[in-house]
Amino acid sequence: MATMKTTRDVKGVGLAIPRPDGPEKVTGQVQYVADLKPRGLLHAKLFRSPHAHARVVSIDTTRARALPGVRAVLTAADIPELKRKAPTRAHAVLAIDRVVFVGQPIAAVAADELAIAEEALDLIEVRYEVLRAAVDPLESMKPGAPPVADAGTEADTSEALAHGSVAGVATEAKPSKAVNISQQAKLQRGDVAKGFAESDVVIEKTYRVPMVHQGYLEPHAVLAQWDTNGLLTLWVSTQGSFNTRSEVADVLELPENRIKVIPMECGGGFGGKIRALCEPITAILARATGRPVRYVMTRREELEAGNPAPQVIIRLKTGVKRDGTLMALEAESVIESGAFSGAVLTVSGVFLASLYLWPAFEVRGFEVLTHKPSIAAYRAPVAPHTIFALDSHMEQIARVLGVDPVEFRLRHLQREGSPMANNQPWLNNGGVEVLTRIAEHPFWKQRAEWKASGDARRLRGTGLALGGWLGGLQPTGATVRLNPDGSLSVLTGQVDIAGTNIALAQIAASAYGIDVDKVRITTGDTDVAPVTGLSAGSKTVYTVGVAVMEAAKDARNQTLEIAAKEMEASIHDLEIENERVVVRGLPDRGVTLAQIGKKGNLYMSKVPPVLGVSHPAFSQQAPAFAAELARIEVDPETGDVTLHGFVVVQDVGKAINPLGVEGQMQGGAVQSLGMALTEALTYDDAGRLTNPSLLDYRKLTAADLPNIETIIVEKPSPAGPFGARGVGEPPIVPAPAAIANAVHDATGVRLTELPLTPERIALAIAAQPAARRPAS
Amino acid sequence: MAKQVLSFTLNDSETDVLVQPYVTLLDALREDLELTGPKEGCGTGDCGACTVHLDGKPVASCLVLALQARGRSVRTIEGLGRFDALHPLQDAFVRLGVPQCGFCIPGVLMAAAALLAENPHPSEEEIRYGIAGNLCRCTGYTKMLAAITEAAGVAPARRA
Repeated sequence: MATMKTTRDVKGVGLAIPRPDGPEKVTGQVQYVADLKPRGLLHAKLFRSPHAHARVVSIDTTRARALPGVRAVLTAADIPELKRKAPTRAHAVLAIDRVVFVGQPIAAVAADELAIAEEALDLIEVRYEVLRAAVDPLESMKPGAPPVADAGTEADTSEALAHGSVAGVATEAKPSKAVNISQQAKLQRGDVAKGFAESDVVIEKTYRVPMVHQGYLEPHAVLAQWDTNGLLTLWVSTQGSFNTRSEVADVLELPENRIKVIPMECGGGFGGKIRALCEPITAILARATGRPVRYVMTRREELEAGNPAPQVIIRLKTGVKRDGTLMALEAESVIESGAFSGAVLTVSGVFLASLYLWPAFEVRGFEVLTHKPSIAAYRAPVAPHTIFALDSHMEQIARVLGVDPVEFRLRHLQREGSPMANNQPWLNNGGVEVLTRIAEHPFWKQRAEWKASGDARRLRGTGLALGGWLGGLQPTGATVRLNPDGSLSVLTGQVDIAGTNIALAQIAASAYGIDVDKVRITTGDTDVAPVTGLSAGSKTVYTVGVAVMEAAKDARNQTLEIAAKEMEASIHDLEIENERVVVRGLPDRGVTLAQIGKKGNLYMSKVPPVLGVSHPAFSQQAPAFAAELARIEVDPETGDVTLHGFVVVQDVGKAINPLGVEGQMQGGAVQSLGMALTEALTYDDAGRLTNPSLLDYRKLTAADLPNIETIIVEKPSPAGPFGARGVGEPPIVPAPAAIANAVHDATGVRLTELPLTPERIALAIAAQPAARRPAS
Repeated sequence: MAKQVLSFTLNDSETDVLVQPYVTLLDALREDLELTGPKEGCGTGDCGACTVHLDGKPVASCLVLALQARGRSVRTIEGLGRFDALHPLQDAFVRLGVPQCGFCIPGVLMAAAALLAENPHPSEEEIRYGIAGNLCRCTGYTKMLAAITEAAGVAPARRA
């Protein structure tokens, strides 16, 4: 029968199908935390520090407490769990007697109405003794800088562990006398001094990328409620409900099984909603009032006191021979972590020293504390920053040597088995493939024609860059059940932000042998779902996909075993076709999935219910690379950059759902185009944010952009489900370097500080020697 | 302060509701009328997530006082199309896989619907400017452009 569907041709992996919750999203029915309004709801507001560094002399909440409609006003003195030397931002629920960044919470209010809570904030009186603030990370590294952390506070390396991105690099906490250097790392191989001495071309530059906000549209939001048995339920906007549960349990000193975290629809996270932020204080307000309490951050609070991406300053020095032989690389990465430790320190060094094969290198990394909001992950943490430095540098070397920039990169690019800086071998990856593929694009092949088509008022250029991500890992779990009607139910705790659940359902469909429209997948809360990792690190499909695939195979085997008994056939002769288990080649002999499912749920039945389970831990990463190509035009008078085309070529291993993959590639590219062109959190000398609104913190709009062209490359990963690799992070990595390379191609100026604002570009062009300045 | 009566047309229905005179239209819709489709992404009119139609024109409902809607007509995402009878824009957004986190989507759809009501066959440039007041962090806008273009029934045009 030609129409019969076997496991090989079910509707599953590889189909570009829309996510099933699309109709809910386009009709406004999908529920985010701020949409929940339980009976008796109170609204919370936080009183936040106006100073970057100050001693809190006194707090008077008398008038605020007296305001009608106010149900609680809390300060540090009201929270018995609070301790000094808070290891994370979450632990520092309210400032005890010193504030260390503008926007740090000092008091918390819960009231009947939001307007009342806001009014109560105005009635709180705090006196400060303002202290000198460490605002610039390079100054903050020096001895004598005002200390940020309380003496004896331990460095927080859990973010790095969560991302599981770089194994085998020792990170030392606090080895230095400089009081604000909270972590250091060093990677080294060969004789760097000899390498530079034998080099013909030595280039040294310092690259700087400011703090940027992850930019999720939904601000942080929490709803907390305690029941009469002392069980805490949290409705949160999080990238990982189990992680939220652990952090809140730790701060509140509660057993984890007394907290239920319900992950609501997450309106974007990009790394900024991994760590607990306002969950503990909301829970404490709910405890103090005995009422449900909802807290939603304002956009200003998000920008001033969210957990942005770090500022990264990379000094990079390279030496090469005239024939293009790489000789030595030396680098220092300074990662500004804000007021609390927690940066991913090692990624920068490993990429700097491993992506291209330097025989000698010495790379140091420093995590530096300043009096600014503490930072968090942002989609491929620190990788876009690092590739901005490294790829800009490779382009410059190629131009100085007069060699083809793509060939130069390809010649020195790592291959599978090449040693990484941490002495582990590079795993199977598509770095060469994506770079080769993008060099075939017409934008690249016709770059000379594009440049020549410009004129003195429209300088045209083309730039490309290569970057990637090593791939995150985390243990995780999934179950797959066969229902009495023959449909499948998949359960994980995975927070679906970008459309991963449809991809997971497709994996379940293909692994079991049933059409995806017969598969329903649910994201469970922490009481019911198997432990599931973060939606982060480009590892949802890579790791949870394996759990779902294995659980579906387990369910399939159980199904076939039951059918084999029923049909008195060998399990090896059975196949699932058209929702029936049949003997291969004898399609008339079979038992339906519904019959098997029903027997598993029948009174007095001896057939067990089908329950596929998998809870794997992982050891093998799947590096994933993207190459990006920009065709631009620069107005030399204004410095304004117009994007005329942008291409993302990415190795995704296997596109489980090409629609979702394209969305990731486009969105990731545009985020880092913002980092390249417009975005920066800017601070004055006192550590105050000078652009705390979305009018002044400029994100790219539809009017700023061309269509983002996507080209999917599939080089299967050995361990991923159906060969898939992580997809989310690689596309954010190369764009800043690609834009800087394109601006250089167009104008002849090499800019090393992001964002590449019109002002910076115009000033750099004006500062060029007259001979090289474009004619006007 | 005493609440006041707001009488207006909401998603084609005559509606009376008591609101505080200081609340925004967005808060009245979300908190008093339980229409939580319009979202608050910034509260300062910069992100577009709260976009609704006021007498057919797109407005940032976080910048409009609820009582300014007295006697006027308001349409929210809940009134654009029904779950079982989607507006062509909603249908195209679903089929082309536009929504990721989804938070900006109600505002983008209302801005796009207002654009198409005024200009049924916009150019690519006109679509880009039509939704330029709506920030989206997930999609990079490319699929949005395609979906709006398809819903408008115009052929996709190349930009460069």
